[in-house]
Amino acid sequence: MDNKVLDIKDLQIRYVTEDGIVEAVNGIDICVEKGKTLGLVGETGAGKTTTALSILRLIPDPPGEIVSGKILLNGIEVMDVGEKEMERIRGDQVSMIFQDPMTALNPVITVGDQISEAISIHQHVSQEEAKIKAKEMLELVGIPGARFAEYPHQFSGGMKQRVIIAIALSCSPRLLIADEPTTALDVTIQAQVLELMKELKEKMNMSMLMITHDLGVVAEVCDDVAIMYAGRIVEQGSLVDIFKNTKHPYTEGLFNSIPNIDDRKAELKPIRGLMSDPYNLPQGCSFCDRCDYVMEKCATEKPKKVYFSETHFTECHHYSDNPDFQLNKGKK
Amino acid sequence: MSEVLLEVKNLKKYFDTPKGKLHAVDDISFSLDKGKTLGLVGESGCGKSTTGRVILRLLEATDGEITYKGIKIRELKSNQMRELRKEMQIIFQDPFSSLDPRMTVSEIIEEPIKLNKIIKNKKERFDRVLELMDLVGLSRRLMNTYPHELDGGRRQRIGIARALSLNTKIIVCDEPVSALDVSIQAQILNLLKELQNKLGLTYIFITHDLSVVNHFSDDIAVMYLGKLVEKASAEELFSHPIHPYTKALLSAIPRASIDNKVEKIILKGEITSPINPEPICRFANRCNFAEDICREKEPELKETSSGHFVSCHIFDK
Amino acid sequence: MSTIAVKTEQLLKTKKRSQFADVWRRLRKSNTAIIGLILISIFLCMAIFAPFIADYAEDALKMNIRERLQSPNAAHWFGTDELGRDIFARIVYGTRISLFVGIISVSIALSLGGTLGAIAGYYGGKIDNAIMRILDVLLAIPTILLAITIVAALGASILNLMIAVGISNIPGFARVVRAAVLSVKDQEFIEAARAIGAKDHTIILKHVLPNSMAPIIVYATLKVATAIMATASLSFIGLGIQPPTPEWGSMLAGGRSYIRDNMYIVLFPGMAIVLTVLSLNLIGDGLRDALDPKLK
Repeated sequence: MDNKVLDIKDLQIRYVTEDGIVEAVNGIDICVEKGKTLGLVGETGAGKTTTALSILRLIPDPPGEIVSGKILLNGIEVMDVGEKEMERIRGDQVSMIFQDPMTALNPVITVGDQISEAISIHQHVSQEEAKIKAKEMLELVGIPGARFAEYPHQFSGGMKQRVIIAIALSCSPRLLIADEPTTALDVTIQAQVLELMKELKEKMNMSMLMITHDLGVVAEVCDDVAIMYAGRIVEQGSLVDIFKNTKHPYTEGLFNSIPNIDDRKAELKPIRGLMSDPYNLPQGCSFCDRCDYVMEKCATEKPKKVYFSETHFTECHHYSDNPDFQLNKGKK
Repeated sequence: MSEVLLEVKNLKKYFDTPKGKLHAVDDISFSLDKGKTLGLVGESGCGKSTTGRVILRLLEATDGEITYKGIKIRELKSNQMRELRKEMQIIFQDPFSSLDPRMTVSEIIEEPIKLNKIIKNKKERFDRVLELMDLVGLSRRLMNTYPHELDGGRRQRIGIARALSLNTKIIVCDEPVSALDVSIQAQILNLLKELQNKLGLTYIFITHDLSVVNHFSDDIAVMYLGKLVEKASAEELFSHPIHPYTKALLSAIPRASIDNKVEKIILKGEITSPINPEPICRFANRCNFAEDICREKEPELKETSSGHFVSCHIFDK
Repeated sequence: MSTIAVKTEQLLKTKKRSQFADVWRRLRKSNTAIIGLILISIFLCMAIFAPFIADYAEDALKMNIRERLQSPNAAHWFGTDELGRDIFARIVYGTRISLFVGIISVSIALSLGGTLGAIAGYYGGKIDNAIMRILDVLLAIPTILLAITIVAALGASILNLMIAVGISNIPGFARVVRAAVLSVKDQEFIEAARAIGAKDHTIILKHVLPNSMAPIIVYATLKVATAIMATASLSFIGLGIQPPTPEWGSMLAGGRSYIRDNMYIVLFPGMAIVLTVLSLNLIGDGLRDALDPKLK
């Protein structure tokens, strides 16, 4: 029990807009264990970022609205703490890295000062000490300390993302939320940054929530994977469960959509259609109108969780009717 | 059987910047057969998009020769070039900024036909628009919607329909799927492939994503800082990469698989500035194999085996 | 993706939702903009239907010493001025002049300044530099001072007034249009238009301008208000519309010596100026929000 750094229960978030209500997150449970990395995978609009922001209590309200649910961060109920306390928690207990390194840094403050600012806000240390610590952080992420007094525009994209990682890690948070941290970077730079994040996670004994759309990145850094579709976790399990024992048709579709680098003749089998309108989700399974295995009851009834092991579950009607059901991927 | 459609020789494009000449494309050559796909791969700033635009003369080249069906493109007057544009088209990376937000779907697809006076009768032109929408899989009822009401995948289909609306033979695809979600990406890639088979199109496929080109291209050219570092057929390049940069690039792709892990080659440092580069190997300061000669003289593109070209001092034997 | 078979004729008939309707839908949500719109429509109606409201020669021009300096009453709603003319009638006819001069002078500035700005923005480089530096010189002279100089040189008349206010607003319009064009010019759809063989003028007229309209419309609305102010100011100092023609500025000038005992002589023309300018500003602000595509 004490092993859980993050424990989200039945979280439900919606956005109330002029055009209607967007059900962004529809009752999800996720938990991240100490020292582990959970990959939260999904496409645009699946509700990944909304989930992440809710952990930091950064959902803009209005239009955002947390309807129900519990978010336990190291045992603290995030929704109950006061704003002052929350400010302390952000950075101390949990930090977030955003997707775009180009806009996340203040262009008129030197990178060194931006790191030491984060340190002095959260730790009661003198300015001098904060500076020394900031320099250490820079070196930790592989930037020479001599570049302490340079401005963000003097850094390349990969370097900026390193600076942002340094800021996020400066107060040794217990949980790091990384929202598509490498999407804006080139492949060779992405490899560098991912390597760095893995290394630092080990060193600082952190947990990580890795938000991404790239199953390749997941395979590199994650221990557990949660596949999100239209505000629901449709399948969750260990890396091996998801990659070797895929259960949900959407997960299978994601794998089939990725060009296989080792077999160039392999045909791409995209998921047909588009994600359903978030203003108007289907009554039953939200994936039903794109699913190749759709049955009558999928359109009307919400599927329940079916467990295959303690950690591996999926939400699909097929398994509740027939536990031996096999996807095409599993068959061959 | 194979007929050369496009040939690029010693193409150069320099931009003037306050700090000096930026060598965006520096002396690259390749040729492309009809009905084939050339993948142009590299990281941001390597000059791949500039190459595509120079070929279409959306940017004027600094030097070099571009021959399309035997016509030297760079010598054409602007009205002759306009004529040729009917056969050479481009699909853009960003399906959000490449469509005029004030025009409806049908207006966007109709515009090239109207401008080039291909079909004068309004009714016939309209039928052609519908035909194109069917061809790229856009539902007809969307014809009067605006691009901002549609998702990325559908917008990219509009871009493709626009590129096909003329008598198109060759299309420069500038990262056509990198702004899209994985499942939509696969839909668009399949569509492009299907159109190629159906209409006999020739593609120049510009991307940073090696797994996409591998799936898509016949030949692949890898660019680094404006230079062509390696060129071979897709199969050859993936099975026997020679240049250290190509190797690193291949190993860096995150693989969506947990078996057969590939040992990653992590490169040191980052891309150097393309402004006034010295005449040495541009990859030398990130290369794990660099020797003295790499920092003294520029390597040339040499053929190591049939059809496999490499520009490297160390590995070109 | 399934293609629904729909007949061509049917499709041709389905109307595209106009962008104007979209803007209107958003504009309606702003209360202040609606107040502005109501106010300005009242003024517009007054200008258009002036002959039905009051007789020009009889009420607005003819002196009537016996009825001078009357307070507002049933016969003269806003009272009468120092020469016994009905103030209400004069304000109604003054609306015509103010709105006319405001709109025409802004049109002059928009067409000349806009063309220069569009050319400068689209072509850039040396052309841009040449045009903008010349306009910078104009911009260095305060607008009202420039207008005074032009009127003083050309002579005071309605036409010259419009030209003066128009010319003095050219640099402002050129800058706004240039900025708008620059922000659109580098987008990929412009490049896409060139790739399909569109010529420069087609690109400017069909793609660049329609997409840079929003800030230009807002600026023009606000500028009509300042042009009305400028007209009133010039008339006030005797360089604009000449008496006895009813104009708000010159009414203020004529009535200012009676302000102590008969303040309504200046109160009503002053209020007319304030209300028109206010309503145009409210509309301008509302439009700025309604046209902002980010809110979509």
